[in-house]
Formats: sequence, C-alpha cells, structure tokens
Amino acid sequence: MSEVYKRELVFLVAGLVAAVMIVTYFLDIPVLNGLAQQLQVWALIIQLMAIGLGAINLVRVNYRHMQQKTEGLWIFSAWFMVLFAIMLLLGLVGLSTGSENAIYSWVFANVYTSLSSTLYAITGFYIFSAAYRAFRARNIDAAILLIGGVFVILANAPVGAVIWKGFPIIGGWFNISGQVPAMRTFTITGALGLLAYGFRTLLGKESGFYGEAGQ
Amino acid sequence: MALLLLVISFALFYFYMVRAKKGAEISARTFPAVAAIPEAVGRAAEMGKPVYYTTGLGMGTLNNPLNGPQTLAGISILGHVTRLCSRNGVRIDYFTPIVDSLPLVEETMRTAYLMEGNPEGFDTNHIHFQQDQSPYLTASLGYMQRERPASNIMLGGFYYESVVLGEAGNTIGAMQIGGSANTHQLPFLVATCDYTLIMEELYAASAEIAGDPDVLGSLKGEDILKFVVLALLGVGFLLGLANNATLINILRM
Amino acid sequence: MSSGNIWDKLQAIDRRVFYWILFIALMIPYLRPIGFPIEINAPAKGIYDELSTVQPGEVCVLSINSGVSAWGDCLPAMVACIRMLAQQDARILVWGMGHTDIDITWQEIMDRSPELKDKVYGEDYAFFGYLPTQETTIALLAEDIRAVFSLDRYSTPIDDLPIMEDVNGADDVRLLLSSDTGDVQGYYIRQWHTKHGTPIGSIGIAMNASGDLPFFLSGDLFGLSGGSRGGAELEQLAGVPGEAITTMDAISVSHLLVVFAIILANVGYFATRGKR
Repeated sequence: MSEVYKRELVFLVAGLVAAVMIVTYFLDIPVLNGLAQQLQVWALIIQLMAIGLGAINLVRVNYRHMQQKTEGLWIFSAWFMVLFAIMLLLGLVGLSTGSENAIYSWVFANVYTSLSSTLYAITGFYIFSAAYRAFRARNIDAAILLIGGVFVILANAPVGAVIWKGFPIIGGWFNISGQVPAMRTFTITGALGLLAYGFRTLLGKESGFYGEAGQ
Repeated sequence: MALLLLVISFALFYFYMVRAKKGAEISARTFPAVAAIPEAVGRAAEMGKPVYYTTGLGMGTLNNPLNGPQTLAGISILGHVTRLCSRNGVRIDYFTPIVDSLPLVEETMRTAYLMEGNPEGFDTNHIHFQQDQSPYLTASLGYMQRERPASNIMLGGFYYESVVLGEAGNTIGAMQIGGSANTHQLPFLVATCDYTLIMEELYAASAEIAGDPDVLGSLKGEDILKFVVLALLGVGFLLGLANNATLINILRM
Repeated sequence: MSSGNIWDKLQAIDRRVFYWILFIALMIPYLRPIGFPIEINAPAKGIYDELSTVQPGEVCVLSINSGVSAWGDCLPAMVACIRMLAQQDARILVWGMGHTDIDITWQEIMDRSPELKDKVYGEDYAFFGYLPTQETTIALLAEDIRAVFSLDRYSTPIDDLPIMEDVNGADDVRLLLSSDTGDVQGYYIRQWHTKHGTPIGSIGIAMNASGDLPFFLSGDLFGLSGGSRGGAELEQLAGVPGEAITTMDAISVSHLLVVFAIILANVGYFATRGKR
C-alpha cells in the first residue's frame, strides 16, 4: 500500500471512530451505542494483542545482549530469559488447566508485588534528596514557594500541630487558598490544551499519531 | 450544553487555523524547554553519550483519555529529537512501559532516520519496553547507571517515576528536560529538571516544533477559549455573590 | 584544591548520607511509637459522615484502582471504610482496574476486616476482580453492570448472586469509593456522579490529594482520603485503629527531616552565595 494511502487510511479510521465516540457520549442513539461498545471492545483486544509485541521486543533485546555478551548486562539478560520462560510456562499451565497455577500466584504475590512496593518506597528517599538539592531560595518566588511548602508539610504531619498550632491553620490556608486555585487553573488550561491537541490530531496535523517524524 | 461548547471550541480552533493558513500572523512564545532540546542533543554529541527519552507510564496504555494524548505528544516530540540525534550522530534510547505505543514509536523513529538520510542508523534495539511501572523504572535506573546518558528527556504522562528518574538523572549529571500534564507530578518535574513543559505546553510544544502556521492558529483559538473561561468565571463569581445559580444551571444543562 | 568550609562540604554531600539518615530516622517511631495526636480534616470527615448515613441493605461499591505498592497510602483507608460499611450491614460490591494485583489487595482487606467474617459471600458482599482501565468501561458499568461482568471473580454467574438481585447500574448504588493512584476517580466523577448522581469518595495516594481537593471543595467528591494521613483520620473516626495511625509517627519524623534538610540547604546556600 502506498505511503499516501497509509496516512489517509489512518486519518479516516481515526476520524470515524472519534465521531462515533463523541456523538455517543453526548447523545443517546441506540444504533451508535452498540457500535461504540463494539469499538471499545476492539480497542481492548488490540491493546491486549500488543502485549505480544512487547514480549517479542523484550526477548529480542535481551537475546542480543546474551549473544553479544554485553559487558555488565548479559548475565541479567540471561536471568531475565530464564524467568520469562518460567513465568510463561506456569501461566500456560494455568491456562490449560483452567485454574490459576499456585506457583505462578505465589511468585506474583510474594516476589513481584514485594519488589514493586520496594520501588515505590524509593520515591520517599528520592524526594528527600531532591528537597535538599533543589529547594533553594534563589529568588523571591522560590522563597515564597519554600515558605508555603514548609507550612504545608508541617500541616500534613501530626507533629506540626504539636510544635505550633499555627502550622495546620496556615498550611491549610496555603492548601485551600493557594494550591487549590492553582490546581483548578492547571486542570482548566490542561483540558483546553488537550481539546486543541485532539482537534489537531483529528485533522491530521499532529505527527505523533501517524508515526511521522515532524519537521 | 457540553456538546455545544465542544462544537464552539472546535469551530474556534478551525477559524483561527484557516486564518493562519491564509497568512494572518500568529506568534507564539518560545518554550525554553523546546529551545533547549538542540542543546541537550549537542551536549550528548560532545560527551559521546546517548540521549535517554521516555514518555512515562501513561497508565500503561494509549487508550487512556488523560494520558494517551500526553504519550502521543511525547512521541511527536520524539520524532523531532530523533532527527536531531541522527543528524548529530547521537544514539537515542527510548524507554516505555506502554505496549500499544511500540509500533507507533518504531515507525516514528524509523521515519526520522529516513528523513535524515540515515535509514541504517535506526535500530529497534534502542526501543526498550518493560511491562509495568516497576520493571520500567528499574530498567531505566540501571540504564542511567551503566550508560550515563548526557541528556534525559521525559515528556509524557508521568506518575511517581518522574521524581525517581529525575533524581537519578541528577545523580549522573545529565541535562534534563521534563514535561507532563499530570498535575500531581509537576512539582517533581520542576524540582528535578532543568527545563519543564507544564500542562498544555506539552501539547503546544509539538505544535511549535511543527512550525505549521495553521497549527499555531489552534493555539490562538485555545487562548481565546481561555479568555472565554475567564469571562465565565468573572460572571459566575458576581452571580455567586448575588446567590444566583443561573449560570451554573445553564452550564449543567 | 581547596577543601572548603563546612557549608561547601554540606552543599556537596553525597545523597547516600541522606538516604541512611532517613532510613535510620524512620526506624525509630516504629520501634518506639511516639503517638502524636491526629487532627481530623474536612476531606476525611466527609467520607466518614457519608458512610455513617448508609442504611442496612444499601449497595456500596469499592473500586480498587491502586496496586500493592500503594498499600501504605490506600489500604488503611480502604480497610476502615469496609469495616464501617460491614458494621452498618451495607451490601458491598468490589471490583478494580489499573492494577492486576487487586486480588491480593482484596484478600488483605478481608484479612484485616473481622466484620466481614460474619458476612456471607454473594449475599452481603461480592468480588468481581480486575477489569481493564478505560473510562468507557466505567461508563458501561454505570449503565449496566452485567454488560461488563457476566461472572464474578470466582466464575459464579452474576445473576446467581443474591446481592445483585436489584442492582443493575449506578442508579442502584448508594455510593462508590474509588481507591486511586491515577485518574480513575475522575472517570467515576464524569460517568457515575455527573450522569447518575452517584456520590463518589476518593481514597488516594498523597500525591493525588492536591489534585482531588478541588473536586471535594466543589462537591463532586463527598470525601477524600489522601495518603496515610487520610487513612489515619478514618481509622480514628471509625474507631478501628490500624496501620495508618502507627505510620503517622514515621510520617512526622520524615516530614521534620525534610523541613530540616530544606532549612539546612538554604542556610548553606546563603552562607556560600557570597563567594560566587
């Protein structure tokens, strides 16, 4: 298929789907409702099929590291391939028997989720080092931000009220009167930007959606 | 009422896009973050190090109303960055946990290399996919420690990985450009990145990079809408003082 | 090369020192609880007040959209809410999206809720499992739950569950609690609350609290639990002390450390600024 049709076809499909979804969101048209439901199911199927693509990408990249014995990396790639094969087999066994494989569930619950939680916990440490490194009162704006931030931090911690009753009050004021209007502004302007971006995408003006590389 | 507002918004965008295409002058302020992208790539070229690029977790799918467009905007800018990298002989590594974006990313990067006359420069092994947030984060952290990229570009729908990647980038002394429309991550991106795109700037950045006059016209339409919203806020505030809910009822229709 | 004074050294301190300081400091309140009093704020009180008005037999939904990694922030609040609802003999439906480990989360909630042990599965509560995160799915759920779920998590047909006898969609639900690490509560606000008037409460990580607060203040959310603090407040209000209350001491220590780090960094910054 020529490059011309590839782009125009994507444009046409995207436009039609968008039109159906927008109309069904606002208007109750039974025929279109059924079509919209089907489109949602198809989108889900495509999304799930893409997982296969992801698996292929993972295997390809890690196999290459193993093959080339990339320094410092190939041993981890080999370990990945072993784990990948184990989990795949366990999952397939569960699929074939119609019930969840106990080992698969155990590995997921006790290994993967524990590691996941550990990664999330790292955030706290990084925020701490970021606070030390980045929160400097370089100018008036930064100084006001810092002072407000300190009050909000101590308003959120029970110890703040113990140190001084004013911390929760002033921190709460910064939160309600300072932070909330700013968040509303961000939400409104973000929504408008999203609207314009969506419109440009539907008109084919946004290269990202069509896999082009822009100017 | 919402449908009417949507139609009016689209009409406004289209009006200004047509005006711009016909030659009306529309200027948009330069985003420092966008202007810094060539600097970031140049830095990588000088240091002989790669560029790390990611569009964030994005809730793991393109099929998400708030994060999908952010990811797509990030991929739009990825095309531009890839072209710069190809031109300067810099390797670019793209990390993502969003599986359904892989074909799009591959096509974008392949086209970028093609447009620079360097099709053999494209290597699918520079697209790194890891399913889910934690493996993606671990892989990114490991990559940063091993490869020590000169520049980190993080543009898309981020969650807690923004602060982790930002701090990891600071640890290795990378130049960092970040951007997201997720309000909860903006403080972390601002704190850790040298340049940041905030909220709709992420969407507008791809328009600025494209440089098409009609695309800039949509930004003008967006700004007009902001004035409309301001006017509604003002009127609503005054009506609210008078305990009048007319405007609220109209908007809720 | 000049060795610099103490402020120069502090400016260039290795971040691993901070990590160790934080790690050690966080151990202390766990080993020796301090017990700082916890003030109740309006957002968490909103959840408690709304849950208090639930009548026996009314159907409430818990949507678990947070993973195991967010247990510290979201789990205590979810447990407190479920225990309250169980005490009030509400009927509870549970499903989730966004994270594939919701089975583990729901099991943990059940393990921590003694009130559920007296309840009958299928009559008093039901668990439907994971569904992919899409706003369209939530819209479908609001119109017709059976269009999304034909079976519960244990492959029982939905119509065989007595709890689902008179429940078809959002109009039959008293309230919905969304436990979130992302934007799913926004989907419920748009699809359930705006269209059907279903009260929505948000149980979120601390990062989400700032973004959700405008929705609470505008009335789109009846209540908001932000992070461990929200969980601690709910535990205190509901009279079911748990993990969050003990975590608050660690929160206090970490927050104090962050403030101390900021002050130290700025003192050092101003002390060394003249030299540049």
